[in-house]
Amino acid sequence: MFNLFNKKRKDFTARVNNSGIEFSIKKGKNLLTAALEENIQWPHKCRVGSCGSCKYKLIKGKISPDIDFSYVLSFEELNDGYALACQSSLRSDIEIEVTLKNNRREK
Amino acid sequence: MKTFYVNARYLIVPLMTVATILGIFVGNNFVWLGVILFGFNTIIDTLTKDIHLRADFDESGNSYGIKKFQYAVMYFMLPTFVLLQVILAWRIFQYTSSTPFEFYSLLGIGYQSGISGLNLIGATLSAGLWAGLGIIYGHELSHNRKEGFFISRLIMSLSGASHFTYAHVYNHHLDLGHEDDPATAPRGRNVYHHAWLSHVGQSKYSFDLERDKLKKHKKSFFSLSNKWIIGYLYSLPSIILFVWAGGIVGILSLLVVWVISNFLLEALNFMGHYGLIREHGKPVEHRHSWDNDNLFTSWFFIEIGRQGDHHVRGETYFWELDDVDAPNYGIGYFSLFVLTLIPPLFRSFTKKLLEDWDQNKATEAERKIAAQIGNL
Repeated sequence: MFNLFNKKRKDFTARVNNSGIEFSIKKGKNLLTAALEENIQWPHKCRVGSCGSCKYKLIKGKISPDIDFSYVLSFEELNDGYALACQSSLRSDIEIEVTLKNNRREK
Repeated sequence: MKTFYVNARYLIVPLMTVATILGIFVGNNFVWLGVILFGFNTIIDTLTKDIHLRADFDESGNSYGIKKFQYAVMYFMLPTFVLLQVILAWRIFQYTSSTPFEFYSLLGIGYQSGISGLNLIGATLSAGLWAGLGIIYGHELSHNRKEGFFISRLIMSLSGASHFTYAHVYNHHLDLGHEDDPATAPRGRNVYHHAWLSHVGQSKYSFDLERDKLKKHKKSFFSLSNKWIIGYLYSLPSIILFVWAGGIVGILSLLVVWVISNFLLEALNFMGHYGLIREHGKPVEHRHSWDNDNLFTSWFFIEIGRQGDHHVRGETYFWELDDVDAPNYGIGYFSLFVLTLIPPLFRSFTKKLLEDWDQNKATEAERKIAAQIGNL
């Protein structure tokens, strides 16, 4: 119930299908933070779930939304499996699609 | 030792809130303790205005902050603020039922039953000030996950301001620096005018947000999914408690608590972005927020004064926020708050700071907007 006492979370992997990039998400990190720490050029602006810039499409796997996405994403986007990376905690390894600024890690 | 120091320094508000509750409980002139502490803090804040510290990280770059401890403290503040209201309601009940002045003891703490009208004013002011200062936890938790967000809503609802949690995340963080954000104070506005406009504007934003969301889901506005309505319903227990405790006196007292606490909240918004400008569609950068990060303000307000970093890395825990060379008032929140209460003094204090911002931090487009607005 309370994340404070939830000790079952572990590291997971995200695979970006349309670019071939794969990276790991350490427990307690959200998808966007993990991607940025891997120097992946993931589009983002506010990092608090209000602008929608970091949206991606979940193809396979489970995530837990940290906030209600329906304030930012359209009804169609929600139905198509879109989610916000800055507010996504992973519950399994995932496969996703997202338009990155460059389809590679920045050095 | 360093871990203890980094974590314990953020306990000033919890300890002083408990002291304020004890003061109201003990009674007599001790009910004024919350007001006295506020004045004491203003002096300490002014004396430490030139001490600025950076965030603390070990050699590997890990923060000394203990997440579980800091979250436990923030969650603990919810029952603490509930107790603050209950203890004030108890005093209101004693006043309206003319409880005789007698001395008792509970768990070894002596207290005086009964309260005079003057001391009831003191108890109400003390409770209002500390309910308002405690809103910093409502702010911090608004950026966190489900249960943290929910506790933020409950803390804010104790001040009748549950709309804040949604408006802050979806409106303020997205639109700060231009007119779409009611919480950003444009140049020339004073804190009294801002408090009203910002409060109503944020509530209106939250109303519109829910209306649009429910429309999207083809649900009625009058639905249990309407967070704007539900949020205000969270405030009902406070209203019922105070009406039960003292009828009209109870409601007046709660109104004073809510006015003070919301004024302090909006004063923080006012100070956080006064006069700063952002071009539409451009990203939020460090220069779009004022930092207030002297030692006492940083510790007391759990680093909420590191606005520059907070608005760029909104997901970052408060104990990891750092100095990012954002525009800086050079004084703490308590000292600056006193200046905001006297608008001509505040404008004269900020004139040079804003001129400096225009010349050295603003982009060409922002400078143009500043020139159109004027009002320095």
